[in-house]
Amino acid sequence: MTWLKNTRNRTKLFFAIMGPGVITAFADNDAGGIATYASAGANYGYAMLFTLFISSICLAIAQEISARTGAVTGRGLSDLIRELFGVKWTLFAMTVLLVANIGTTASEFSGIATSFEIFGVSKYISVPLAAVLIWWLVLKANYERIEKIFLVLCVTFLSYIISGVIIDPPWTEVLKASVTPTFASNASFLMLAIGVIGTTITPWGQFYIQSAVSDKGITAKDYKYTFWDVMVGAFFTWLIAFFIIVATAATLHVNGISIETVGDAAIALQPLAGKYASMLFSFGLLGASMLAAFILPLSTAYAVCEAFGFEHGISKSYEEAPVFFGLYTALIAIGAGLVLWPDLSLYSIMLASQVVNGVLLPPILIFMVLIASDKNVMGSYANSPWFNVIAWVFTAVLIVLTLMLLVSTIAPGWWNSAMTFLGL
Amino acid sequence: MNEAKALKTFYFSQMLGKPIYDSERRQIGRIKDMAVRWDGLYPQVVGIKYARKVHMLIPIEQVQECNEQGMQLAGTFTPEQCIQLHDSDIYISKWLLDKQIIDLRGSRMVRANDITLSWMMQDGHMRMILVAVDIGLRGLFRRLGLEFLLKNRAHNLLGLQYIKPLESWTSSLQLTREKKQLRELHPADIADLLEEMDYKSRASFIENLDAQQAIEALTEVDLETQVEIFEQMDRQKASDLLEEMPPDEAADILGELSVEKSEDLLQLMEAEDAAEVRELMQYEEGTAGALMTTEFIAFPAALTAQEAINRLRELAPTAEMIYYVFVVDETEHLQGVLSLRELIIAYPQTVLQDIMHTKVESVREDDNHRRVAEVINKYSLIAVPVVDEENVILGIVTVDDILDILIPERGDRETYPWFAMSKMVGRGR
Repeated sequence: MTWLKNTRNRTKLFFAIMGPGVITAFADNDAGGIATYASAGANYGYAMLFTLFISSICLAIAQEISARTGAVTGRGLSDLIRELFGVKWTLFAMTVLLVANIGTTASEFSGIATSFEIFGVSKYISVPLAAVLIWWLVLKANYERIEKIFLVLCVTFLSYIISGVIIDPPWTEVLKASVTPTFASNASFLMLAIGVIGTTITPWGQFYIQSAVSDKGITAKDYKYTFWDVMVGAFFTWLIAFFIIVATAATLHVNGISIETVGDAAIALQPLAGKYASMLFSFGLLGASMLAAFILPLSTAYAVCEAFGFEHGISKSYEEAPVFFGLYTALIAIGAGLVLWPDLSLYSIMLASQVVNGVLLPPILIFMVLIASDKNVMGSYANSPWFNVIAWVFTAVLIVLTLMLLVSTIAPGWWNSAMTFLGL
Repeated sequence: MNEAKALKTFYFSQMLGKPIYDSERRQIGRIKDMAVRWDGLYPQVVGIKYARKVHMLIPIEQVQECNEQGMQLAGTFTPEQCIQLHDSDIYISKWLLDKQIIDLRGSRMVRANDITLSWMMQDGHMRMILVAVDIGLRGLFRRLGLEFLLKNRAHNLLGLQYIKPLESWTSSLQLTREKKQLRELHPADIADLLEEMDYKSRASFIENLDAQQAIEALTEVDLETQVEIFEQMDRQKASDLLEEMPPDEAADILGELSVEKSEDLLQLMEAEDAAEVRELMQYEEGTAGALMTTEFIAFPAALTAQEAINRLRELAPTAEMIYYVFVVDETEHLQGVLSLRELIIAYPQTVLQDIMHTKVESVREDDNHRRVAEVINKYSLIAVPVVDEENVILGIVTVDDILDILIPERGDRETYPWFAMSKMVGRGR
């Protein structure tokens, strides 16, 4: 029975490394994530490290809530929203999810376009091809294997850690910056701060991890393993983002280079890879973008169909599940279409979609916290009062930040005088 | 029942939140929910919940009229008239509306978008009856106040006799009815439903199936779901089911559980069944040995056709495949084979020795699945016997088992891509 034991050991190892928490963590650092972190590092040096630190803690809290709800109820988030809040709130939540995910899908296609542009391939060729390829592969091919390839490509981003170490930035300054609250009230800082939060904690990530946990058949009993999986995942998200910001700050910000395209973020990899930096970067970006472009449209279609009771699943035929396939196709088409819009810069699509995600996150968080503190649903696994306080404070902070962003964008003059008045 | 006559039908969503007045035109409250009891033929509304946090119900007998404007009570309202929720009663809004239910007609999971209620005159009494569940798009739009957009679309109503709620809330009488309806479902359909359910619903659903059906359905479920189900099941029940399942399936499942868990279940199983399963678990994944089942029909060569048919009658209920009858000597060496057809059309007194084919296509226990598939395909077999180096028959691999490997159901990989990669799909499947 040795082969049996071997399989089991391998399975255990596999589970240990590849739980839903860790996978979501890798997906969080997608094309939009890289763009946002690189921009944060290049424009504000180490100042954004504090925002990142806080948002990573919040990520751990949010993912923990979703994973726990998934394990205890065995249900997806959209399913629970429908059962507990009725049709109208479900429509609201699904609209939020759709808008956020169309934005994110567009940012993934921007990532694909960017990585091909580094090799001189026009986006008018790469994006339509990638869209058709993804659409076809997900529906027709054995994607398990293909996906492993993309995940391996993502590991390229670990090279930011090595690069960061080689650059050897002033570590005391860096560490001090990560825990010192830094804040500026102008619109561009706010926007980037919300972008950083929006890219670490995504609305789709919450839906995804909950379904992942329940679909894997993890029960309340096994939840303790998933808890650590989630924590390790949140740590990885922070680690990679931290080094991207540090590396870009030390190379770009220090020398006063601003980022025009995401490709410029490759400069931060030069200490490690020299002239191969762009190539390394483009492989990583392609992997991350393809991986997320694979999962996003599909998981969105699942969530929406689950909530409204439409037939779903890729094993169904088009006649059986028209809404499911229609939505899936539309998401890819719109996402890719936005990227092909002639005058839009790829970089701004990526940044904008992260801000949209950040703005749309609070409503989803409110649903999550309400569900997780409902004793009828969660029984003894419901949020404790203290935990609830933390969760609500975090949600409130995000709402305030969003409102501040709206005001400072719509009426900058009024905003500045208000800030002077308050002495900020 | 023959007296029942529908007077007026309306949608529950249209009544929800409407005001309730008593005979003095005082507003008592709003329709928050309705309690339904299902102990007769139809589920009847027994009471109206009229305010949040008030757990007393206005009895249905008090209701005089119910229309788009609201609900009119017959007399003056006093809280003392209210009744309490009975143990077997359910709230429509809280427990049925927006929930997932099983559509027994289409054998799939659907969502209750709305509920139709009907005033009926039965034996001289007015009764409010729950008639059907709206599972269509039109019901969904009605809830959003947008029904006018779909005026021309047909209603998609599911009669109450065709629904099965995931959580059992019906009286024992209705449970018997449900069980009867479930029996009509094909095991493969039940398997699909099981794969879609969350783990809590699964447990209660399996409880509702009779033992034979549960086994057949579990055999059809994909390995991943099988493992989940057995991991969560009570150990006594799990071992009982494993005893009854085809040993090759049981071996597959046990091979995926943790060592402690599978040892524990094997200990609980009857020694003979456990031994058979243990033996199968030793074969390397993807080989004929791992694929085969040990439930086959083998008779001695001296048996007459008549005797063979009689013995077959006793064995058939448990054997997986009876279309091939293998002929063996006293030490289980494979000597020949004959089909069920040949056995039946033979004269009753003929001995098997005389009608069997002595050239038997077989595979070895360590042959891989490709070789097994080739043999089955080349000789157009329904099953191929598996033998060891001394030509002792160990089991058979049926064409179903090999098809499962060659053409995995798309449904097996239905879950989101990232989930799939974190699940080890066991035994090379």
